[in-house]
Amino acid sequence: MDILLVMCLGILVGRFFFPQKAKKWNEVASLLCTLVLIFSMGAMLGRKEGFLHQLLTLGTQSFLFFLIPTVLSIVAVYILTKRFMKKHDGKDKEENA
Amino acid sequence: MIVLLTILSLILGLAYGLSGLELPLLTFFSQHTDLVLYLLMFTVGISVGLHRGLFRKIREYHIKIFIIPIGIILGSLVGGLVCAAMFHIPLGQGAAIASGMGWYSLAGATISQIGGSELGSIAFLSNLMREIFSFIIIPIVAIKLNFYTCIAPAGATSEDTTLPVMLKYTNEETVVLSVLNGIICSFFVPILISLCFQVS
Repeated sequence: MDILLVMCLGILVGRFFFPQKAKKWNEVASLLCTLVLIFSMGAMLGRKEGFLHQLLTLGTQSFLFFLIPTVLSIVAVYILTKRFMKKHDGKDKEENA
Repeated sequence: MIVLLTILSLILGLAYGLSGLELPLLTFFSQHTDLVLYLLMFTVGISVGLHRGLFRKIREYHIKIFIIPIGIILGSLVGGLVCAAMFHIPLGQGAAIASGMGWYSLAGATISQIGGSELGSIAFLSNLMREIFSFIIIPIVAIKLNFYTCIAPAGATSEDTTLPVMLKYTNEETVVLSVLNGIICSFFVPILISLCFQVS
Protein backbone atom coordinates (compact mmCIF):
# COMPACT_ATOMS: atom_id res chain seq x y z
CA MET A 1 0.00 0.00 0.00
CA ASP A 2 2.80 2.43 0.92
CA ILE A 3 4.45 1.60 -2.41
CA LEU A 4 1.34 2.84 -4.18
CA LEU A 5 1.33 6.02 -2.09
CA VAL A 6 4.95 6.68 -3.08
CA MET A 7 4.04 6.18 -6.72
CA CYS A 8 1.09 8.56 -6.40
CA LEU A 9 3.46 11.13 -4.90
CA GLY A 10 5.75 10.59 -7.89
CA ILE A 11 2.80 11.12 -10.25
CA LEU A 12 2.02 14.45 -8.55
CA VAL A 13 5.68 15.52 -8.75
CA GLY A 14 5.85 14.47 -12.41
CA ARG A 15 2.57 16.23 -13.21
CA PHE A 16 3.26 19.56 -11.50
CA PHE A 17 6.95 20.02 -10.66
CA PHE A 18 9.26 17.77 -12.67
CA PRO A 19 10.78 19.37 -15.79
CA GLN A 20 9.96 17.55 -19.03
CA LYS A 21 13.56 17.91 -20.21
CA ALA A 22 14.82 15.84 -17.23
CA LYS A 23 12.72 12.85 -18.31
CA LYS A 24 15.81 10.97 -19.51
CA TRP A 25 17.48 11.27 -16.09
CA ASN A 26 14.38 9.90 -14.44
CA GLU A 27 14.50 6.87 -16.75
CA VAL A 28 18.17 6.32 -15.86
CA ALA A 29 17.26 6.44 -12.15
CA SER A 30 14.49 3.87 -12.76
CA LEU A 31 16.92 1.56 -14.51
CA LEU A 32 19.56 1.90 -11.77
CA CYS A 33 16.99 1.08 -9.09
CA THR A 34 15.92 -2.01 -11.03
CA LEU A 35 19.50 -3.19 -11.42
CA VAL A 36 20.11 -2.75 -7.68
CA LEU A 37 16.92 -4.69 -6.88
CA ILE A 38 17.89 -7.55 -9.18
CA PHE A 39 21.43 -7.60 -7.83
CA SER A 40 20.02 -7.79 -4.29
CA MET A 41 17.69 -10.60 -5.29
CA GLY A 42 20.68 -12.52 -6.71
CA ALA A 43 22.72 -11.85 -3.56
CA MET A 44 19.84 -13.07 -1.39
CA LEU A 45 19.48 -16.25 -3.47
CA GLY A 46 23.23 -16.86 -3.52
CA ARG A 47 23.32 -16.75 0.28
CA LYS A 48 20.42 -19.19 0.55
CA GLU A 49 21.61 -22.57 1.86
CA GLY A 50 21.59 -25.24 -0.89
CA PHE A 51 20.23 -22.90 -3.58
CA LEU A 52 22.36 -24.31 -6.42
CA HIS A 53 21.48 -27.88 -5.50
CA GLN A 54 17.78 -26.95 -5.34
CA LEU A 55 18.06 -25.27 -8.73
CA LEU A 56 19.46 -28.42 -10.35
CA THR A 57 17.11 -31.01 -8.86
CA LEU A 58 13.82 -29.20 -9.28
CA GLY A 59 14.90 -27.17 -12.29
CA THR A 60 12.99 -29.01 -15.02
CA GLN A 61 9.67 -29.07 -13.18
CA SER A 62 10.08 -25.46 -12.15
CA PHE A 63 10.93 -24.44 -15.71
CA LEU A 64 7.76 -26.02 -17.10
CA PHE A 65 5.72 -24.54 -14.24
CA PHE A 66 7.07 -21.17 -15.36
CA LEU A 67 6.87 -21.70 -19.12
CA ILE A 68 3.38 -23.15 -19.65
CA PRO A 69 1.40 -20.73 -17.40
CA THR A 70 3.38 -17.79 -18.82
CA VAL A 71 2.76 -18.77 -22.44
CA LEU A 72 -0.94 -19.41 -21.77
CA SER A 73 -1.20 -16.03 -20.00
CA ILE A 74 0.33 -14.35 -23.05
CA VAL A 75 -2.07 -16.15 -25.39
CA ALA A 76 -5.11 -15.34 -23.21
CA VAL A 77 -4.21 -11.66 -22.84
CA TYR A 78 -3.41 -11.32 -26.53
CA ILE A 79 -6.77 -12.80 -27.56
CA LEU A 80 -8.71 -10.74 -24.99
CA THR A 81 -6.99 -7.45 -25.82
CA LYS A 82 -7.38 -8.03 -29.56
CA ARG A 83 -11.06 -8.75 -29.02
CA PHE A 84 -12.01 -6.13 -26.41
CA MET A 85 -9.38 -3.38 -26.62
CA LYS A 86 -9.32 -2.89 -30.36
CA LYS A 87 -9.73 0.87 -30.16
CA HIS A 88 -6.53 1.18 -28.18
CA ASP A 89 -4.24 -1.42 -29.73
CA GLY A 90 -1.43 -0.07 -27.56
CA LYS A 91 1.21 0.33 -30.25
CA ASP A 92 1.33 4.09 -30.01
CA LYS A 93 4.97 4.65 -30.92
CA GLU A 94 4.56 8.38 -31.54
CA GLU A 95 3.56 9.00 -27.95
CA ASN A 96 6.69 7.28 -26.75
CA ALA A 97 9.05 9.17 -29.01
CA MET B 1 20.75 -3.67 -23.70
CA ILE B 2 18.49 -3.42 -20.66
CA VAL B 3 18.00 -7.19 -20.74
CA LEU B 4 21.75 -7.81 -20.73
CA LEU B 5 22.21 -5.39 -17.85
CA THR B 6 19.53 -7.10 -15.79
CA ILE B 7 20.96 -10.57 -16.46
CA LEU B 8 24.43 -9.27 -15.58
CA SER B 9 23.06 -7.78 -12.34
CA LEU B 10 21.50 -11.10 -11.41
CA ILE B 11 24.71 -13.04 -12.15
CA LEU B 12 26.81 -10.54 -10.19
CA GLY B 13 24.32 -10.69 -7.32
CA LEU B 14 24.41 -14.50 -7.28
CA ALA B 15 28.21 -14.49 -7.39
CA TYR B 16 28.31 -11.97 -4.55
CA GLY B 17 25.89 -14.02 -2.47
CA LEU B 18 27.74 -17.28 -3.12
CA SER B 19 31.16 -15.74 -2.41
CA GLY B 20 30.17 -14.91 1.15
CA LEU B 21 31.84 -11.48 0.83
CA GLU B 22 30.49 -8.61 2.90
CA LEU B 23 31.30 -5.37 1.07
CA PRO B 24 29.67 -2.54 3.09
CA LEU B 25 28.08 -0.64 0.18
CA LEU B 26 26.69 -3.75 -1.54
CA THR B 27 25.50 -5.21 1.75
CA PHE B 28 23.77 -1.91 2.54
CA PHE B 29 21.89 -1.98 -0.78
CA SER B 30 20.94 -5.64 -0.52
CA GLN B 31 19.59 -5.07 2.99
CA HIS B 32 17.63 -1.94 2.11
CA THR B 33 15.77 -3.09 -0.98
CA ASP B 34 12.55 -1.57 0.37
CA LEU B 35 14.08 1.91 0.08
CA VAL B 36 15.29 1.17 -3.46
CA LEU B 37 11.80 -0.09 -4.33
CA TYR B 38 10.30 3.16 -2.99
CA LEU B 39 12.72 5.15 -5.11
CA LEU B 40 11.86 3.00 -8.12
CA MET B 41 8.14 3.56 -7.58
CA PHE B 42 8.72 7.28 -7.17
CA THR B 43 10.58 7.51 -10.49
CA VAL B 44 7.91 5.38 -12.16
CA GLY B 45 5.30 7.78 -10.76
CA ILE B 46 7.20 10.72 -12.23
CA SER B 47 7.24 9.01 -15.64
CA VAL B 48 3.48 8.52 -15.43
CA GLY B 49 2.91 12.09 -14.25
CA LEU B 50 4.98 13.49 -17.11
CA HIS B 51 2.65 11.87 -19.65
CA ARG B 52 0.03 14.49 -20.51
CA GLY B 53 -3.51 13.32 -21.25
CA LEU B 54 -2.92 9.89 -19.79
CA PHE B 55 -5.72 9.92 -17.20
CA ARG B 56 -8.28 10.83 -19.83
CA LYS B 57 -7.30 7.64 -21.65
CA ILE B 58 -7.55 5.53 -18.48
CA ARG B 59 -11.09 6.82 -17.91
CA GLU B 60 -11.89 5.70 -21.45
CA TYR B 61 -10.94 2.10 -20.55
CA HIS B 62 -13.35 1.88 -17.59
CA ILE B 63 -14.17 -1.79 -16.87
CA LYS B 64 -11.74 -2.90 -19.59
CA ILE B 65 -8.94 -2.41 -17.06
CA PHE B 66 -9.85 -5.88 -15.74
CA ILE B 67 -9.38 -7.61 -19.10
CA ILE B 68 -5.61 -8.04 -18.71
CA PRO B 69 -5.65 -9.42 -15.11
CA ILE B 70 -8.45 -11.84 -16.07
CA GLY B 71 -6.37 -13.13 -19.00
CA ILE B 72 -3.28 -13.52 -16.82
CA ILE B 73 -5.12 -15.32 -14.01
CA LEU B 74 -6.94 -17.67 -16.41
CA GLY B 75 -3.79 -18.44 -18.39
CA SER B 76 -1.80 -19.10 -15.22
CA LEU B 77 -4.44 -21.36 -13.69
CA VAL B 78 -4.90 -23.42 -16.86
CA GLY B 79 -1.11 -23.65 -17.23
CA GLY B 80 -0.84 -24.89 -13.64
CA LEU B 81 -3.47 -27.55 -14.33
CA VAL B 82 -1.62 -28.71 -17.46
CA CYS B 83 1.67 -28.96 -15.51
CA ALA B 84 -0.07 -30.85 -12.68
CA ALA B 85 -1.39 -33.40 -15.19
CA MET B 86 2.09 -33.74 -16.72
CA PHE B 87 3.84 -34.37 -13.38
CA HIS B 88 1.01 -36.41 -11.80
CA ILE B 89 0.45 -34.10 -8.86
CA PRO B 90 -3.00 -33.02 -7.60
CA LEU B 91 -4.56 -30.45 -9.96
CA GLY B 92 -5.23 -27.94 -7.18
CA GLN B 93 -1.57 -28.00 -6.13
CA GLY B 94 -0.41 -27.39 -9.69
CA ALA B 95 -2.83 -24.48 -10.02
CA ALA B 96 -1.62 -23.11 -6.66
CA ILE B 97 2.01 -23.08 -7.85
CA ALA B 98 1.08 -21.18 -11.01
CA SER B 99 -1.13 -18.79 -9.00
CA GLY B 100 2.02 -17.11 -7.72
CA MET B 101 2.10 -15.23 -11.06
CA GLY B 102 5.73 -14.25 -10.51
CA TRP B 103 5.47 -13.33 -6.81
CA TYR B 104 8.10 -15.92 -5.90
CA SER B 105 8.69 -14.89 -2.27
CA LEU B 106 5.05 -15.15 -1.23
CA ALA B 107 4.27 -18.22 -3.37
CA GLY B 108 7.37 -20.06 -2.18
CA ALA B 109 6.79 -19.29 1.48
CA THR B 110 3.05 -20.02 1.61
CA ILE B 111 3.17 -23.18 -0.53
CA SER B 112 6.08 -24.50 1.57
CA GLN B 113 3.90 -24.06 4.63
CA ILE B 114 0.78 -25.63 3.12
CA GLY B 115 2.17 -28.24 0.72
CA GLY B 116 5.70 -29.02 1.91
CA SER B 117 9.19 -27.88 0.95
CA GLU B 118 9.34 -29.63 -2.45
CA LEU B 119 6.20 -27.94 -3.75
CA GLY B 120 7.36 -24.73 -2.10
CA SER B 121 10.69 -24.93 -3.91
CA ILE B 122 8.98 -25.51 -7.26
CA ALA B 123 6.71 -22.53 -6.55
CA PHE B 124 9.68 -20.38 -5.59
CA LEU B 125 11.82 -21.32 -8.60
CA SER B 126 9.07 -21.26 -11.21
CA ASN B 127 7.82 -17.85 -10.08
CA LEU B 128 11.37 -16.55 -9.85
CA MET B 129 11.92 -17.74 -13.44
CA ARG B 130 8.72 -15.96 -14.46
CA GLU B 131 10.04 -12.70 -13.08
CA ILE B 132 13.54 -13.11 -14.56
CA PHE B 133 12.44 -14.32 -18.00
CA SER B 134 9.93 -11.47 -18.19
CA PHE B 135 12.86 -9.14 -18.82
CA ILE B 136 13.64 -11.13 -21.97
CA ILE B 137 10.05 -11.89 -23.04
CA ILE B 138 8.63 -8.35 -22.73
CA PRO B 139 10.75 -6.78 -25.52
CA ILE B 140 9.91 -9.69 -27.86
CA VAL B 141 6.16 -9.47 -27.12
CA ALA B 142 6.26 -5.68 -27.65
CA ILE B 143 7.57 -6.22 -31.18
CA LYS B 144 5.65 -9.35 -32.20
CA LEU B 145 2.25 -8.92 -30.48
CA ASN B 146 0.94 -5.74 -28.82
CA PHE B 147 1.97 -3.54 -25.89
CA TYR B 148 -0.85 -4.73 -23.62
CA THR B 149 0.30 -8.34 -23.93
CA CYS B 150 3.71 -7.32 -22.53
CA ILE B 151 2.00 -7.21 -19.11
CA ALA B 152 1.09 -10.93 -19.29
CA PRO B 153 4.50 -12.52 -18.59
CA ALA B 154 5.16 -10.07 -15.75
CA GLY B 155 1.95 -11.10 -13.90
CA ALA B 156 1.93 -9.82 -10.32
CA THR B 157 5.39 -8.26 -10.74
CA SER B 158 4.09 -5.80 -13.32
CA GLU B 159 3.72 -3.11 -10.63
CA ASP B 160 7.35 -3.10 -9.50
CA THR B 161 10.48 -4.82 -10.86
CA THR B 162 9.38 -5.28 -14.47
CA LEU B 163 7.97 -1.75 -14.75
CA PRO B 164 11.15 -0.10 -16.11
CA VAL B 165 11.30 -2.71 -18.91
CA MET B 166 7.68 -1.91 -19.65
CA LEU B 167 8.53 1.78 -19.69
CA LYS B 168 11.42 1.17 -22.05
CA TYR B 169 9.62 -1.05 -24.58
CA THR B 170 5.98 0.12 -24.43
CA ASN B 171 4.42 3.48 -23.51
CA GLU B 172 3.23 5.33 -20.40
CA GLU B 173 -0.35 4.23 -21.00
CA THR B 174 0.68 0.57 -20.85
CA VAL B 175 2.77 1.34 -17.75
CA VAL B 176 -0.31 2.60 -15.90
CA LEU B 177 -2.29 -0.49 -16.96
CA SER B 178 0.71 -2.53 -15.83
CA VAL B 179 0.62 -0.98 -12.34
CA LEU B 180 -3.13 -1.56 -12.05
CA ASN B 181 -2.68 -5.14 -13.24
CA GLY B 182 0.06 -5.72 -10.65
CA ILE B 183 -2.20 -4.46 -7.86
CA ILE B 184 -5.10 -6.69 -8.96
CA CYS B 185 -2.94 -9.80 -9.51
CA SER B 186 -1.06 -9.29 -6.21
CA PHE B 187 -4.41 -9.05 -4.42
CA PHE B 188 -5.50 -12.39 -5.91
CA VAL B 189 -2.23 -14.35 -5.41
CA PRO B 190 -2.77 -15.35 -1.73
CA ILE B 191 -6.50 -15.91 -2.30
CA LEU B 192 -5.92 -18.19 -5.30
CA ILE B 193 -3.16 -20.18 -3.58
CA SER B 194 -5.35 -21.01 -0.58
CA LEU B 195 -8.43 -21.68 -2.75
CA CYS B 196 -6.48 -24.03 -5.04
CA PHE B 197 -5.13 -25.97 -2.06
CA GLN B 198 -8.61 -26.26 -0.61
CA VAL B 199 -9.95 -27.91 -3.75
CA SER B 200 -6.98 -30.32 -4.11
